[in-house]
Amino acid sequence: MRVSVKVDWRRFVLAALALALPGEAAADFKIADVQPKFTEQSLTFAGNLDLGLSAKVEEALAKGIPLEVVIDVRLYHQRRYLWDKKIASWTLRRRIQYHALSGQYLVSAGEGEAETRESLLTQQEALKQLGSLSDLKLALPESPSEGAYSADIRVSLDIEALPTPLRPVAYTSFAWHLNSGWTSWKVAR
Amino acid sequence: MESSALRSGAGTPRQRTEGWNRYVTRYVTGFTPLAVLSVLLIAAFIMMNAAAQNSALFGRMYSVLLLVNILGVVLLIALILLNLFHFVEQYRARVMGTRLTLRLLVMFVMLAVLPVSVVFFFSIQTLNRGIDNWFDVRIERALDDALLLGRTALDALKQDLVKNTQEIAVELETLPVKPKTGGLRSELSLLNALREQYNITELTLFTQDGKIIASVSEASFEPGTLVPDRPSDTVLTQARQGLTYANLDAIGKSGLRLRVVVPVRSRDVGAPTRVLQVLQALPPRYAKLGESVQSAFAEYEKLVYLRGPLKFGFTLTLSLIALLTLLIAVWAAIFSARRLAAPIRELAEATNAVAQGDYQKQIPVTSRDEIGILVESFNDMTRRIHRAQTQSKRSQQEAEIQRAYLETVMGRLSSGVLTFNQRLLLRTHNPAASQILGAELKTSGRKSLAWLTEHYPTLHPFTEAVEQAAAAGQTEWQTQIQLAVNGRRRTLMLRGTSLPSWRGKRGGYVVVFDDITTLIQAQRDAAWGEVARRMAHEIKNPLTPIQLSAERIRHKYLRQVPEEERAALERATRTIIEQVEALKSMVNDFSEYARSAQMQSRPVDLNDLIRDVIELYKNERGLSTASVVPLHRANDKPGKGKAPRAVSTRLDLDADLPVISADPGRLRQVLHNLLLNAREALTATPKPMISVSTRVLTENMHRFAELKIQDNGPGFPEAQLVRLYEPYVTSKEKGTGLGLAIVKRIVEEHGGAILAENLKDGGACVIIRLPIGDAVAVSAEKSPALKPVRAETKA
Repeated sequence: MRVSVKVDWRRFVLAALALALPGEAAADFKIADVQPKFTEQSLTFAGNLDLGLSAKVEEALAKGIPLEVVIDVRLYHQRRYLWDKKIASWTLRRRIQYHALSGQYLVSAGEGEAETRESLLTQQEALKQLGSLSDLKLALPESPSEGAYSADIRVSLDIEALPTPLRPVAYTSFAWHLNSGWTSWKVAR
Repeated sequence: MESSALRSGAGTPRQRTEGWNRYVTRYVTGFTPLAVLSVLLIAAFIMMNAAAQNSALFGRMYSVLLLVNILGVVLLIALILLNLFHFVEQYRARVMGTRLTLRLLVMFVMLAVLPVSVVFFFSIQTLNRGIDNWFDVRIERALDDALLLGRTALDALKQDLVKNTQEIAVELETLPVKPKTGGLRSELSLLNALREQYNITELTLFTQDGKIIASVSEASFEPGTLVPDRPSDTVLTQARQGLTYANLDAIGKSGLRLRVVVPVRSRDVGAPTRVLQVLQALPPRYAKLGESVQSAFAEYEKLVYLRGPLKFGFTLTLSLIALLTLLIAVWAAIFSARRLAAPIRELAEATNAVAQGDYQKQIPVTSRDEIGILVESFNDMTRRIHRAQTQSKRSQQEAEIQRAYLETVMGRLSSGVLTFNQRLLLRTHNPAASQILGAELKTSGRKSLAWLTEHYPTLHPFTEAVEQAAAAGQTEWQTQIQLAVNGRRRTLMLRGTSLPSWRGKRGGYVVVFDDITTLIQAQRDAAWGEVARRMAHEIKNPLTPIQLSAERIRHKYLRQVPEEERAALERATRTIIEQVEALKSMVNDFSEYARSAQMQSRPVDLNDLIRDVIELYKNERGLSTASVVPLHRANDKPGKGKAPRAVSTRLDLDADLPVISADPGRLRQVLHNLLLNAREALTATPKPMISVSTRVLTENMHRFAELKIQDNGPGFPEAQLVRLYEPYVTSKEKGTGLGLAIVKRIVEEHGGAILAENLKDGGACVIIRLPIGDAVAVSAEKSPALKPVRAETKA
């Protein structure tokens, strides 16, 4: 259940910057339904992140430019009279890349030994896989105590991970600003 | 640099604001901030350039550097704009030197902008062309072809594998869906046999929903992996639907592999379809070539795609650097122009100040070049001008002091001084001149001698003398003239000198004159005194023997002579005795007149003295007293001649009159003489009246006690008015003419002055002024109850 949308000043800055420059109205990253839940000592999710690419980003992907999305998750313990206490935060990076020889999209997550790779036939499938949270299991630093918990999630395209020459273009184009913004969800038990 | 006003914490808010403004101006338009910013920006650009070339060191900072550079450039633009704004303000305010600065600025900016623009333009062109040259259609096609070739080769392999897989699937159809106990082993061996038969890397059989039934693989295939790779749900769905999936798999850790997924239909009716997956690792050579083609193609594709952004990035960097260069050049132009124009501006300002009269202006010498020499020369010039001006001012002051000194001396001179220019126009005069001539000379404008004659006709002898002397061209002259000023004759001694000529022009004249009337009078008085003394001495001696002899003759021969001659003798001797007596009296008068002053001064209340004398006259009913020197006693004897009429006496005495220092006996004599004179003058007057008044008078810082005695008689004869005080000047038949002479002498002995004049409506008036000196202290003791006395009595 979606609780609220937190205000993020960086989004305003980026939006202002992007509005000032010509760009196309693009599809954006959305977080529709993630259903966080405590399962034993970890935080799990159900549902997907809705990752829509703008035409420019799609083109870049098709031309073999690897894209990296960053999923930020923050877990808060809600308190009645004080501000919410941050319990833990995770930053997950997932990559998608077109493989020309096989004509497939490779989706990878994690790094080094923990890296998982999958090849998918269509872009749609690949994006679905990229935004899939079903297999995600985030270990908690401590077992959740009584009281309400909330999880804040954000997914965005990491411009800094793009090739250097593309970065100025990406920074100055609205099409490249793919960011869901923070959304807050109540954690079920 | 100017000192910061912020350092002083005290001061009014206005001062603080001004200080702040100056502080801001200094840090916005100064040299240091822009220089520092420029250096920082150049450093940032170097780093950004390195980052754009994929340098590992700066690659991560690229975006930050770009942002920093853009902000820096914006800041630099803002600073330069502020500088320009400041400059425009000064230009509009027509601050000295801004025009020159503008010209220099425009020149410098042109010099900087043109080459930078040209370099920038060609750099952009070259850069774009260079980047475009990286890409070649043939290479692109070759890569495409290589990829296609790879795909085709892989496709052939794939087709073989699909065929084999389908054959394996047919063989596996015989396998029961639900194996008996220990059946799994037979399945595995079957699979293993098939794998070996077809030389397959991994063979896995799945249930319809993707659960592994059995899997066999090469021992060397993906060691460390326990669970065989599972196809994706899409692929499974596809297989369930009876379709075959075959594709190159790029995710395997041991390089490229082919994956074929086919359905395995069961021969048992209603038994579920199983799914067979075959993973075939490509031969190493194939795999290597395929990877190589893939990576080369991908890299090239990426490059092609990034061509635009790359150009954009390079253009951006280059533009920013060009902009930075331009801005630094503009700023340097502003700074240099200002610096170059500063001494010239200072010089112009200083020249202006000198033109306005500020000769103390000095400019600091900041350079040793031609401008520095110019500034030094200017400083030297102003120093000299200032010195000259100071000297001239001093001379002027000295002249002024000299003039004031001369004026003071002239003002205090008792001699009259008049100066005329060469056209005989009056230039200067002193107060004594106005006083002596009785003319108002202070009126504005230069007066000619004619003007003087016209306005003061009595001064004609004076102007005539001056004109004559000037006409004669005398350098030194002296003359004595007689003037009638205010109805009184005055004798003036004139001395004239022509002033020294200057620059070929004739100088004017200076005329110095003295009123020597008094001097002449004094000389006359002295002469008369001497005559009187000698006469008294010479005459008095034989008189007593004559008188004694006459008396003896009378005594001895009066009885002896016959009766008829006795009367004649008696008359003759009496006449002799009487005449000798008269002569004695006259001689006494003379000796009185000639007697040297032996004053016995003491404080005297003049009013009391007047009252005493008037009282005496009232008691005597017109008779003179023996204590005073009778002047005209022949007429005064009662019964002889005319009986004196009753004369009214009117007193108007100032009660505030202070006590004066005087000899009361002699003052009494003065009063007697004057009153007698007045009374005698009034014998023919129908209503005779004598008024006596006193008052305090202040004139020229001196205080006087003024005594005024006036009658309503016929007045003094006009002819005698000038020589009134000389002995033997009298209008009376039998007077010696010594009365007023003695009065004058006594008054002068007291340091006073006497003035006799005729009144306009008839009658004579004698005014005596006696100085109020040390005796003032005594007057303070006088009773304040004394009021002015106004009495009218019938004498």
